[in-house]
Amino acid sequence: MKSELMSNGAIHNCAERTSAHPIRHVYVHIPFCARICPYCAFYKERADPAQTERFCLALLAELESSGLRLNLQPETIFFGGGTPTALSTSPLRELIQGFGDLLDLTKLVEWTVEANPGSVSPAKAQMLRSLGVNRISLGVQSWDDQLLAVLGREHSAAQAELSVQILREAGFTNLNIDLMFGLPGQTAAQWEATLARTIALQPEHVSAYCLTYEEDTEFFLRRARGELRADEQTDAQFFELAMQALGSAGYRHYEISNYARAGYASHHNRGYWAGEDYLGIGPSAFSTIGLQRSQNVPDYRVYSDRVQAGESLTSSEEALTPQIKRSESIALSLRTSEGIPSHWLDSWNDEREEFLSLGLIRQDNARVRLTERGKLLADSVAAAFV
Amino acid sequence: MSIERTRNFCIIAHIDHGKTTLSDRLLERTGTIHERDRQDQLLDSMDLERERGITIKAHPVTMRYRSKVGESYLLNLIDTPGHVDFAYEVSRSLAACEGALLIVDAAQGVEAQTVANIHLAHKQGLTIVPVINKIDLPNADLPAVHRQLEEILQIPAEEALEASAKMGIGIEEILEAVVHRIPAPQKPVDDTLRGLVFDSVFDIYRGVVAYVRVFSGNIKADQAVKLMSNDSRYEIKEVGVFTPKMLAQAGLKAGDVGYFIANIKTTADIKIGDTITDQRNPAREALPGFQEIHPMVFSGIYPINTADFEHLKTAIGKLRLNDSAFVYQPESSVALGFGFRCGFLGLLHMEIIQERLRREYDMDIIATSPSVIYEVLTTRKELLLVDNPAHLPDPSVIDEIREPIVKAYVLCPNENIGDILQLILEKRGTMDHTESLDTRRVMLHCELPLNEILVDFNDKIKSVTRGYGSMDYEHAGYRAAKLVKLDLLVNGEPVDAFSMIVHRDRADARGRQLAAKLKEVIPQQLYQVAIQAAIGGKIIARESVSALRKNVTAKCYGGDITRKRKLLEKQKEGKKRMKSIGKINIPQEAFIQVLKTQ
Repeated sequence: MKSELMSNGAIHNCAERTSAHPIRHVYVHIPFCARICPYCAFYKERADPAQTERFCLALLAELESSGLRLNLQPETIFFGGGTPTALSTSPLRELIQGFGDLLDLTKLVEWTVEANPGSVSPAKAQMLRSLGVNRISLGVQSWDDQLLAVLGREHSAAQAELSVQILREAGFTNLNIDLMFGLPGQTAAQWEATLARTIALQPEHVSAYCLTYEEDTEFFLRRARGELRADEQTDAQFFELAMQALGSAGYRHYEISNYARAGYASHHNRGYWAGEDYLGIGPSAFSTIGLQRSQNVPDYRVYSDRVQAGESLTSSEEALTPQIKRSESIALSLRTSEGIPSHWLDSWNDEREEFLSLGLIRQDNARVRLTERGKLLADSVAAAFV
Repeated sequence: MSIERTRNFCIIAHIDHGKTTLSDRLLERTGTIHERDRQDQLLDSMDLERERGITIKAHPVTMRYRSKVGESYLLNLIDTPGHVDFAYEVSRSLAACEGALLIVDAAQGVEAQTVANIHLAHKQGLTIVPVINKIDLPNADLPAVHRQLEEILQIPAEEALEASAKMGIGIEEILEAVVHRIPAPQKPVDDTLRGLVFDSVFDIYRGVVAYVRVFSGNIKADQAVKLMSNDSRYEIKEVGVFTPKMLAQAGLKAGDVGYFIANIKTTADIKIGDTITDQRNPAREALPGFQEIHPMVFSGIYPINTADFEHLKTAIGKLRLNDSAFVYQPESSVALGFGFRCGFLGLLHMEIIQERLRREYDMDIIATSPSVIYEVLTTRKELLLVDNPAHLPDPSVIDEIREPIVKAYVLCPNENIGDILQLILEKRGTMDHTESLDTRRVMLHCELPLNEILVDFNDKIKSVTRGYGSMDYEHAGYRAAKLVKLDLLVNGEPVDAFSMIVHRDRADARGRQLAAKLKEVIPQQLYQVAIQAAIGGKIIARESVSALRKNVTAKCYGGDITRKRKLLEKQKEGKKRMKSIGKINIPQEAFIQVLKTQ
């Protein structure tokens, strides 16, 4: 496989061209879940134990070949999914070790692994921590067992709390708790209670996502059939409750759906929002390198086959232009607490005036930022600027 | 053929009662066409006509017939447009004839359109030959139809012929009745050329082909002629008859029906009902009955895609070439961009034009709600004709607004009388009288404002009577009414496309209905949007679209970024296609939705 890749002139040239710009972010997609949640649109499947070893080897092979054509100097690694911790301890250990062996980790500052409550045993947690993983993102979603059932989650609130304890005991000092709001039947009181219980556990980072009815999900179909209803007013209210509760508990609202204590904003995710290059490893993973965005084939069996056969893993590609990059920068930066430099918007004065007068944006220190109200309407504002 | 052996006649019938099939049978029986080369429904040449089973244009055809006693006759069949929208054209076609075959379906019996057409034929003094068609149908009820003819149309039962055009039954008898009952054309009073132009078509190779009935004198090639309405002068290039194909002749003489071609550029240059005469030996008076045709129904036609304006302009121009009753002029709307204000003879005419634009010219068009032409008497006693609500003068200078009235015949089963009366009342109609057609059906004679029957009157009759009712009307002048202009305002700004003239008593309900519909279709904006319906300065209904509170993508990581960007681009693109009214962005689809509900 190595020789094939090296004999390809295009790839060789590409490696030369990009070697000047090290890639600092690596995303790894582990598509396994113990159970399929009815709202999730990510590529995932139930794990087939007979396939996992071959799959983990394929991930390492992809990483190795990427390392040959790209200059990888990861500052962040993010294992997402699916559920990376759906892999049992031993293949997960080999995978993590493999990454450590193949990559130069001298610059690494953040290595995140997503985990679901119930899939983190003390042994697994200790293994991860000991191999260099320093951040866990825990998919708690809610502290209400009834709502967890609505979401089709496998775990209970009690199990989630136990997981936090296990992770803390394993030595993790950077913990994210994922929450969801705008759930079917969720009341303001339930959401406030979930926020309060989250804050009481003192995670370093909280992600609070409004439920999105993604196409190709069971929830989407159920909404189309009229069984579930999205209510903009309630969603807006819950978003405001999150901003208030987390803000007064000392979390900085540094991106639309993300809150962190000082120094704990996710380096990996900030890489995306700053428009930095990232390499995606694994089925369905996206990479953006320079002006090229591509996605790997979203099927882990096909993925493994192709790696084995030395074939291209790409299922789709998109050539970006400087204008597209610029549009994306505006849209993504606008979502962050840094906002965008005012001079980016020079030619959109009409809209800017309107947004200013409506109190959706504010302008200081030569930067344009969303106000709290503006955060609820980030897409309307961004649409005018892209 | 001598004038004594010429018969000029037409066929009048309700839609689907078999006019076209009977025409074809007459052409076959007289050997004018042969069955093997006949297309179904030979006389209707436009696809749309064939599809709707209606005839829009009149096509004359000349047949030779040898009667039972061995005499040869020249029969000119003039096919008339069946619909009352074309009442004037029908009346001119009728004026070219001495008699008419009245077709009544043996199962359906007399219908509203039958009555309306008979009235027109009587006005022209035509001899009526009643034919009960489709007698082969299992549900044919001959006694009932005979009774209806007697009671409603005062036609003695024994006069009615029984036929089945489809099965070829009774065709001979019909032809015999044509030669024996319908009188020959009157002998001309002198040799001066008097020809009635009863229709014209535009042929891209030959220019305008005018259909003519000669009442006196002769018309032949190279003759210098003039049209009496406007004194325009032409030299005849060709005259001929339809067999049904155009066949050039040396000349046409008194009593004949045929065509002439004379370097006339568009059908608008030769008006239906005009009299053609000789330049050197002109008739002193024109034939009676000529009128300028005035459109009765108006509607704005706009391209959905504003870039298609030029394409629409060309298409409308082409349609107009062949349809001088259709008029248009450019107009522009804040909401819809550039388009045309179009005038039609009636609803069917409007639908046909719109449908032809869509089908034959592949245009995506949006039509504003149809309106009629109002007479507005100002306080300075000027009489204005207003066909566009936007041109209605300020109420303070209006003394009186008059609206066009129609005399309508509504035919319905007995059990639906109550619902139909209710419907007529809802449409601001007044009942004149009712008469029983038979044991099952009644005919209601009423007067209605034309404006009220523009949109859904016919559909409602059909739905109330489960398809058994029918309606027809004729124009009956103007009458003063309490009419007002209703405006819809979005954030204080009137939306021109939605303005309309309505009866004061209806304005509140209409205003509320439209405001509510508009609320449904205007997307949420970043601020609250006020929707108001107003008469003059007075607000009669209001609604509001609450401000958008939340529009934000929750997750924006590696794979989401392209999707997010495309979403934003789509939002931005969508905004471009919106019309901005009072700073509010309204998607064009919203206009279409609201115009549809009107």
